Amino acid sequence: MATTMDPNNLPFLSEASVSVEIETEDMTLNIGPQHPSTHGVLRLVAKVNGEKIYNVEPVLGYMHRGYEKLAEVRTYPQVTTLVNRIDWVSGFANEIPFIAGAEKLMEIEVPERAQYIRLILTEMARISSHFVFNGAFPLEIGALTPLFLAMEDRERVLDLLESVTGGRFHPNFNRIGGVKPAAGAGPTTKKDIQDLPAGFYHDTKIAMEKVLEAVERFENLIGGNEVFKARTKNVGILTKEVAEEFGVSGPILRASGVPFDLRKYSDYLPYDNFDFDIPIGQNGDCYDRWYVRTAEMRESAKIILQAIDSMPSGPIQSKVPKVIKVPKGQTYVRAENPKGEMGYYIISEGGLGPYRLKIRTASFSNISILPVMLEGALLPDLIAIMGSLDFVLGDVDR
Amino acid sequence: MSFSTELLIKVGIVLAIAPAMALACTLLDVKGSAWMQRRPGPLHVGLRGFIFPLAAATKYLQKETIIPDEVDEPVFKWAPAWVIAAVMGLFTIIPLSPTLIVRDLELGVFFLLAISSISTIGVLTAGWSSANKFSLMGGLRAAGQLIAYELPLILSVVGVVIQAETMSTVGIVEKQIEFGFPFIIAGQGLAFAIFMIAATAEMMRTPFDMPIGESELVMGFMTEYSGIRFLIFYISEYINLFVMCAIAATIFLGGYHFPFLPTEWVNFYGPLVMLGKTFGLVFLLVVVRWSFPRFREDQLQTLAWKVLIPLSLLNIMATSIMKVVF
Amino acid sequence: MKILKLNGERKTLSQSEINEFFNSIKLKFTKTTFEFDTVKINVQPKNWVEAHEILKNEFKLNFFNWLSAVDWDNEVAVGDPPKEQVTPMFEIMSCLSQTDSNNLVIISTNISKEIPDIESLTPVYRGADWHEREAYEMFGINFLNHPNLKKLYLPDGYEGNPLLKSFELISREVKPWPGDVDVEAMPEDKVATEEEK
Repeated sequence: MATTMDPNNLPFLSEASVSVEIETEDMTLNIGPQHPSTHGVLRLVAKVNGEKIYNVEPVLGYMHRGYEKLAEVRTYPQVTTLVNRIDWVSGFANEIPFIAGAEKLMEIEVPERAQYIRLILTEMARISSHFVFNGAFPLEIGALTPLFLAMEDRERVLDLLESVTGGRFHPNFNRIGGVKPAAGAGPTTKKDIQDLPAGFYHDTKIAMEKVLEAVERFENLIGGNEVFKARTKNVGILTKEVAEEFGVSGPILRASGVPFDLRKYSDYLPYDNFDFDIPIGQNGDCYDRWYVRTAEMRESAKIILQAIDSMPSGPIQSKVPKVIKVPKGQTYVRAENPKGEMGYYIISEGGLGPYRLKIRTASFSNISILPVMLEGALLPDLIAIMGSLDFVLGDVDR
Repeated sequence: MSFSTELLIKVGIVLAIAPAMALACTLLDVKGSAWMQRRPGPLHVGLRGFIFPLAAATKYLQKETIIPDEVDEPVFKWAPAWVIAAVMGLFTIIPLSPTLIVRDLELGVFFLLAISSISTIGVLTAGWSSANKFSLMGGLRAAGQLIAYELPLILSVVGVVIQAETMSTVGIVEKQIEFGFPFIIAGQGLAFAIFMIAATAEMMRTPFDMPIGESELVMGFMTEYSGIRFLIFYISEYINLFVMCAIAATIFLGGYHFPFLPTEWVNFYGPLVMLGKTFGLVFLLVVVRWSFPRFREDQLQTLAWKVLIPLSLLNIMATSIMKVVF
Repeated sequence: MKILKLNGERKTLSQSEINEFFNSIKLKFTKTTFEFDTVKINVQPKNWVEAHEILKNEFKLNFFNWLSAVDWDNEVAVGDPPKEQVTPMFEIMSCLSQTDSNNLVIISTNISKEIPDIESLTPVYRGADWHEREAYEMFGINFLNHPNLKKLYLPDGYEGNPLLKSFELISREVKPWPGDVDVEAMPEDKVATEEEK
């Protein structure tokens, strides 16, 4: 006959289980501002119970430089030097929406060749930003090797950016109405305006082939890595609704299954001339966020190769007055930056500089999701989630 | 030669070669990583990178020893000693030939388990006494990890012990010579895999380096250490790497024995064969370290308790049955 | 795992679609302008939250883009004052958009500088939290019913609201505006000087 063992019927057993409860005390863990994986100077005040986090409060402002105030005392051409430094990993892309906004207010048509040059360099900035992500994200979850591979590959793209603009991180290359002649292009005469350095097309083609190779390597080394999958799949799931409410944009939004990319929806640059896909994820977890960015590098390389082949000729600068005065008006221009949607709300009162410049940066909205996402996560997941958001502190604090 | 004189000489030799082996492992680790990461530095700078470990050691020796105000000073100061003592103690049972061994203990394999647990105390006290939250979490993670992985480590060896009918390391090697095959081929392949995984976790190397995990816990239980005490932790990590690989080579790969070489010359080629096998395994772990990210703490525990321990028990059962049948 | 891909088709709205969207909003909010491709709605402060609710629920503008403010004043400590006389006030602006089209609206409301109070948007859009904290420290605008209204960027003891037009920029005090004006020569100008030589 089978007998069942009910602990309630065995008084000695139920008494024994009384004293098992352990008293625990919550710990406040200050992660940052100096911590290896807070991308600079973000500070998270986390309340943890062992490895489990139940409350996180981000503390910002260690890198606040007050660009919105500084922009009010600068002329429009001077503002581009400021906005370069917002997201320094992709400095070139920051200039585009500001310049496009000023041009919209001045009603200037930009020559097609200048737009193509802008587009190529923006995509290069995107590739270089995603290379940094592909190095930094595995590093944060414990793999050092991809960092070195990514940095080496990124160098090729930065060399190209440098050959055109003269700057690796802060190009300051856009002018209202066009772009400036390339840095390494040699003397400019009336007949022959050297806008791109010699051999640029050839070097770009080689570099983009290397980028495609690198993407494949990352897909094998990082995406095919079982430990990487174990750490990132089903970790930090972000749903579409929450992402929209917090204004989360860019690859993070697309990883949650929203096919929203301003390159397809807006016309700040002639993206409609090219054939490219928007990779989107399914689950909105850390793995998808990694995947979307890595797949985007391939699409960017595709765009650049197409743009090189169909590059129009012509001037790179339209006629603009010597002293740039933007007529009275207000406009909001946004662009798809590597980190997400970046926009400038320009209020012009007809002066030399903007009356007020509101800078909408992607990382600011993207990390405002952190307290929601980190509730109940484990400490190692915090690092994985933070890394997958791919923020730059300059982009958060402005 | 009296027993004590002999022991003194042997201990002296171990004290001399252990740091040398640590430097060699460091060199292999650094050069392996540079080779995998296409980093020119360690492959070309400073006599093709060969003086790097010495330069690093010198750097740590020069650094100021900082002891924060809040730490529990005696405990904090002595924690590295526990760790290095434990790993040095393991040299006792590594045979370079049937006679070139500090002490051929009858309980050799049991000694391995007993001594290697001591380093847990060092790590835990280091984490606790540092008065740093990151150190504390690192120390606790390390304690949990070392306890969890000691079991599969020793259970995987039990299969070998059953097959070899001895716990002495020399005895195990002799048994493999008798068989004509190393145990990795002769029935203990699974045990070898479990042993290597558990040993990696014991050494706290990637993908099991959560106690250090610099992107999470800054430097884990070592966060507050600097100067020579940090160097001791660092060196004992690499001595541990060498020792664990040497034990794996002894138990599973036939130790000092190399086929087709005359056994009477074993005192000459034995050490070389042993080093070759050991550094082969070290290289394997180097490649693993630089290919993988780290696991999460709960995944680590799951792997130990739900996968490795049942598998090693299964291995013991299978070995016992085979032993009875044949 | 399968990853979905959007094909290379274009999603830009046509002019008629943009006009249709503008007209539908114009029906609901009379003070709506459409200048420089930007739809801007002006609402009364008392309708501030309600307007957002309507835009969220009826117009499906789910994506909370940003929120900020403008300090309108004729006396400015930095930069250029407005050319025409303006009424001193705070203009609070928020931006809403969609994630399946390029529709975007700016909602603005004017509040007086004496009583800079406005209802918080956090019940409608949780994402407004940090944006309102930023506007609070930069302009001194009080967001009523905000769950955690404290400084976001600035240190706790910081006095003043930096983005106010009356807030002086120390560096500009040291080196007065406009400093060295650096207008770069156009390519044509460069050519001209070369030919003169």
